[in-house]
Amino acid sequence: MSKFKNGFFLFFIFLILYLPIFYLVYYSFSSGNNIAKFENFSWQHYLNLFADRRLIGIVLNTILIALISATIATTIGTFGAIYLNDLTRPWAKNLTLTLNNILIVSPDVIIGASFLILYSAIKLHLGFWSVLISHIAFSVPIVVLMVLPKLKELTHSYIDAAYDLGASSQQVLTRVILPFISSGIFSGFFMALTYSLDDFAVTFFVTGNGFSTLSVEIYAMARRGISLEINALTGIIFFVISIAMVFYYFVLQRNKKQKRIN
Amino acid sequence: MAKFKHFLVAAPYYLWIGLFVILPIGLIFIYSFHDLNGHFTLNNYLNFFKNQTYLLMAFNSLCFAIIITFISLIVAYPIAWIISKFQNSRDFLILLVIMPMWINLLLKTYAFIGIFSRNGTLNNLLASLGLGRHQFLFTDIAFILVAVYDQLPFMILPIYNSVITINHSLINASFDLGASKTQTFWRIIVPLTLPGIKSGVQAIFIPSLSLFMITRLIGGNRVITLGTAIEEHFLSTMNWGMGSTIGVILIIAMILIMLLTKESK
Amino acid sequence: MTGKTIVELKNINVIIDDLQILKNISFELETGKFYTMLGPSGSGKTTILKVIAGFSQPTSGEVFFNGKKINQLPPNKRKINTIFQDYALFPNLNLFENVAFGLRLQHKHNSEISDRVSQILDLVQLNGLEKRSVEELSGGQRQRVAIARSLVLNPKMLLLDEPLSALDAKLRKKMQYELRNLQQRLGITFLFITHDQEEALAMSDFIFVINNGEILQSGTPVDIYDEPINHFVADFIGQSNIIDGTMVRDFVVKFVGKTFECSDAGMRHNEPVEVVLRPEDLDITEVKKGKLTVKVKSQIFRGDYYEIIAYDEDHNKWLIQSTNPVKDGAIVGINFDPEDIHVMRFGEKEQEFDARLETYED
Repeated sequence: MSKFKNGFFLFFIFLILYLPIFYLVYYSFSSGNNIAKFENFSWQHYLNLFADRRLIGIVLNTILIALISATIATTIGTFGAIYLNDLTRPWAKNLTLTLNNILIVSPDVIIGASFLILYSAIKLHLGFWSVLISHIAFSVPIVVLMVLPKLKELTHSYIDAAYDLGASSQQVLTRVILPFISSGIFSGFFMALTYSLDDFAVTFFVTGNGFSTLSVEIYAMARRGISLEINALTGIIFFVISIAMVFYYFVLQRNKKQKRIN
Repeated sequence: MAKFKHFLVAAPYYLWIGLFVILPIGLIFIYSFHDLNGHFTLNNYLNFFKNQTYLLMAFNSLCFAIIITFISLIVAYPIAWIISKFQNSRDFLILLVIMPMWINLLLKTYAFIGIFSRNGTLNNLLASLGLGRHQFLFTDIAFILVAVYDQLPFMILPIYNSVITINHSLINASFDLGASKTQTFWRIIVPLTLPGIKSGVQAIFIPSLSLFMITRLIGGNRVITLGTAIEEHFLSTMNWGMGSTIGVILIIAMILIMLLTKESK
Repeated sequence: MTGKTIVELKNINVIIDDLQILKNISFELETGKFYTMLGPSGSGKTTILKVIAGFSQPTSGEVFFNGKKINQLPPNKRKINTIFQDYALFPNLNLFENVAFGLRLQHKHNSEISDRVSQILDLVQLNGLEKRSVEELSGGQRQRVAIARSLVLNPKMLLLDEPLSALDAKLRKKMQYELRNLQQRLGITFLFITHDQEEALAMSDFIFVINNGEILQSGTPVDIYDEPINHFVADFIGQSNIIDGTMVRDFVVKFVGKTFECSDAGMRHNEPVEVVLRPEDLDITEVKKGKLTVKVKSQIFRGDYYEIIAYDEDHNKWLIQSTNPVKDGAIVGINFDPEDIHVMRFGEKEQEFDARLETYED
């Protein structure tokens, strides 16, 4: 009985949680030009979206920035985490960890504003490079935090065993440490990707004329007036994410089952 | 492994700490003592503490952040708790909570503009019910609502994670020793999920102090927070000194929150 | 105080997801006794405890406490306390507050709480550690906190769910004595759950042997050890040699091709049966003097005796305990007394078993 009540409550919550998304997707199929009234079913806005080379370019920019920044941040962060984990003096470890976490807890405006000061001090032109560097910068600490717990699980006896069996220090790194922490590296990369795709405030501060990511573009559009192309874009994003989530869920379930069998 | 090899591979990481953690904070601190012409001054700080508008704005910002965080907590706790009760489907349910986080924040906020605007869906609905049209967009309530909506998953997830680690025999033990359901909740469950509550509060309170996108789009120019003030000083009036001063105040507030919600060991 | 029934279970069935966890369980527990529920993991023994404590509702059947039906009573209203397998100490409270937990719920005065807690901490020898966090305590100390936390509420009965299983062997032995002592001093009923037969034999007044949700046999440790009802009980409790045989007539049983005098009766003529001989009842002798002849396969020195594995001509395996070693591969005789032989019928239920015993024992 209470299970039924709980189920109803959750249903209601999820309805609210998804309402704005469904709302946007619903109007993406309207032939009208505004979000107030649904006219006839139409693919018109999707066609407009694909024809809008500027908007498509911005979407591609956003994805490109996310992929490059996540890859570089994952590399820097992984090696940073390995070094950090090996620090023996507690104060050095704590200090590094505290400095690492500053950007995670800092509000976006502070990161954006301080990076803006930095770039103007070194006279870096605001545009693609300033955005890319900023995205790398705020993704590094989250990678470190994702990799660190995995490194803690890697006890010293594994590494000693590898040396004992004749591995060189390079082989220990590539054959023992990196494979062992690969799930942490992967989730770090994934989080960096999320951070980058979702960022608005930092990009807003450090981007210049002529370069824009999706978030910044939507912000500009929302202030100017609304185009239903954005709704069509939401529809596509929602579709892609739904498929990714379903896929992820089945992988998760299969892994769980396998664990149970073993 | 030889240490020096490690240091070489970690060099980019330490370079990152130097360039993007220490240097920017140092710069913001230095700029906060600069006036518009780049000369040293204490006026920014004097201005902040003497000028009613700045103090009022800081106070406003604080109130909004407290309200947003509190509502998020009250709503998120039962959600996290109930999801954890569905033993078989909770992985799926928590995925449903995560999924909206993947839709760009701007898109969701933009949806609310459509829902709340003068000719928007909500007003159409009210008008068709004969309740007339009302102003929703650019009100405090709309701002709080959207801020809570956008940040709710960041409260649900850490609480959920601490709820599912509660050993069920602790709850049974509490009943066994004579506690009622309410007593068990306040004396056992809340203290045990406190780490989750704290990280949820951290994840919401600090960003709420400095929101400026939702503030601008949903709150209009009526709601002014520390975030909007910084944005304005940096990107509109170009008074980086004053913007940095507000930034330093925000950093201090952030450190206070971190200390308050620190894991006590 | 002893003799009065405190808890009674009547025809308890528990079915979860179409799985019958408990099958028609009925028994009575008397005040002041130490009971043990003994069975392998998954046998349903913990479910019985949960039904008594109130954490699980029986699908059918009744639970009585002091003569009153308590099926509907929630666990926080039952005057029964549980010691959980993992002790379930509250990590957010220190040792003192863990013990004081139940008293605080009753809104007792601070002075009364500190009096009663320190009294109970004296009893379990934990005084001086009040301020410790429970995470700093050793396994044995945690267990004592769990016991103190329950005892401070003056329960009529304590349910203990495998509380010794997390402790090392030496500490476990020590705690067996301590628990037994405590129970006798306080005179309250203990229902102890375990899968460790040695523990059950050492501590209990009365044992229930349970498997697959059914009580197979109940009785004093000596009864169960000497007269196991079936193959499962004989095998589960102590070590035993279980051999197929035939009951020729009352007090005569045939196995390994020979007939032997025994002390069992009440079965059909020539009924197929199983015969139990405990390894410590077997003596090694010369072949001529032995009742059976076996060939020694291997032996292990166990400290106070040698454990010998040997095979007879029918290839039955025999486990023998002997104070003296023998040669590997030696052919020896084994000897035993008629009363060392215990004969078990196939599929006999406890009631039938008891009734049969009545017909020929005095």
